[in-house]
Amino acid sequence: MKAISAAALVSGLAAMLGVSAIAQPPTAHPDFSGSYERYGNIFGQPTPAQLADKTIPPRNPPAPLKPGPMKEYQDRLAAIREADRKGTPLASGYVSCLGDGMPMMMNAMFPIEFLITKNQVTVIEEAFTQVRRILLDRPQKNIDDVEPGFYGHAVGHWEGDTLVADTIGIKEDIRYQNVPHTKDLRIKERIHLVAPNILWDEITMEDPAVLEKPWTVTVAYKKMPDYTLLEYICEDNREYKDANGVQQIHVGDTGRK
Amino acid sequence: MKTAIVVVAMLALAAPAFAHHSFAMYDHTKTVTLKGEVTKFQWTNPHGYLEIDVKQKDGTTKHYSLEMTSINMMTRLGWRSNMIKGGDLVVCTIAPLLNGEPAGLLLDVTLPDGRKLEPGVPAVNTFKRTPPEE
Repeated sequence: MKAISAAALVSGLAAMLGVSAIAQPPTAHPDFSGSYERYGNIFGQPTPAQLADKTIPPRNPPAPLKPGPMKEYQDRLAAIREADRKGTPLASGYVSCLGDGMPMMMNAMFPIEFLITKNQVTVIEEAFTQVRRILLDRPQKNIDDVEPGFYGHAVGHWEGDTLVADTIGIKEDIRYQNVPHTKDLRIKERIHLVAPNILWDEITMEDPAVLEKPWTVTVAYKKMPDYTLLEYICEDNREYKDANGVQQIHVGDTGRK
Repeated sequence: MKTAIVVVAMLALAAPAFAHHSFAMYDHTKTVTLKGEVTKFQWTNPHGYLEIDVKQKDGTTKHYSLEMTSINMMTRLGWRSNMIKGGDLVVCTIAPLLNGEPAGLLLDVTLPDGRKLEPGVPAVNTFKRTPPEE
């Protein structure tokens, strides 16, 4: 008797029964597709309950910057604080309706969605409708072959339950919490569930020209089972950046509905 | 009052909100209470706006533009675009724009039926509330 593969047998049965979609065999990795919100932020001193909760990541360490970049970073923070104190805030990219870029979008100021498919993991952050694509089981490019952008070129693969991603090609002015970097920034991520509804993204930034050592921060998300991401269009941005880099606002009805 | 209770309850449950935009250009040391007529409730991102006309003591009308938060945040707090309509008489608590222009950050609004809604301004407690001027 001619051997018939299990897949062909199932396919034939499905055709006979008129079933267009049949259950796929279980995947080797968890499908954590869905909407999430930022979770486990610690403001001020962590409480005993927060310290005991193993789903809440520890407080992130400061960026281990080399002296030159550290001065640039501290000067920038001081300028932001002083401008805020004077009521003349320095304009961030948001004032120009620009999204976070990587890795800041993974901080998920607004809800974030993971879509896991066979060849790609797609991540969408609601604010500014930010999208990044992690291409699975592909070789990474050389940094010099990637045009710098907001989200860079990302590849990934599964290591058991963990999605491992590698991202390069981030514009130098797209910064994580104002920390400077060069064009050689490499972002390594380990994304995995730590509880049935809690996801962690352990983000390691490598950039030997500015960092003394790799810098790892961990972001946690909680599943939003019934939430569908909303649209976000920067439809009527009344705020703008003036010639001095200060955030200003147009006052008065702009006519948008 | 039902909606007001829902909104306040949702606010209490919400995680501390982060801000994309700085609100440092608004006065954190005092609030102003405005009673006016809505000319438009603008449901847009990056922020919603409430446009109101406020009658002055000399009989003239002064228009104010009041900035809110992202309509996505407001939606998650229970807001809908039809909650305020043109012609509604409202009472607004605002942090005025520091440069003196007729604008402010809307901290809360009381609707004609008494419902008091908050648009979920991040770090709202950093704005010092002062009594309404008579």
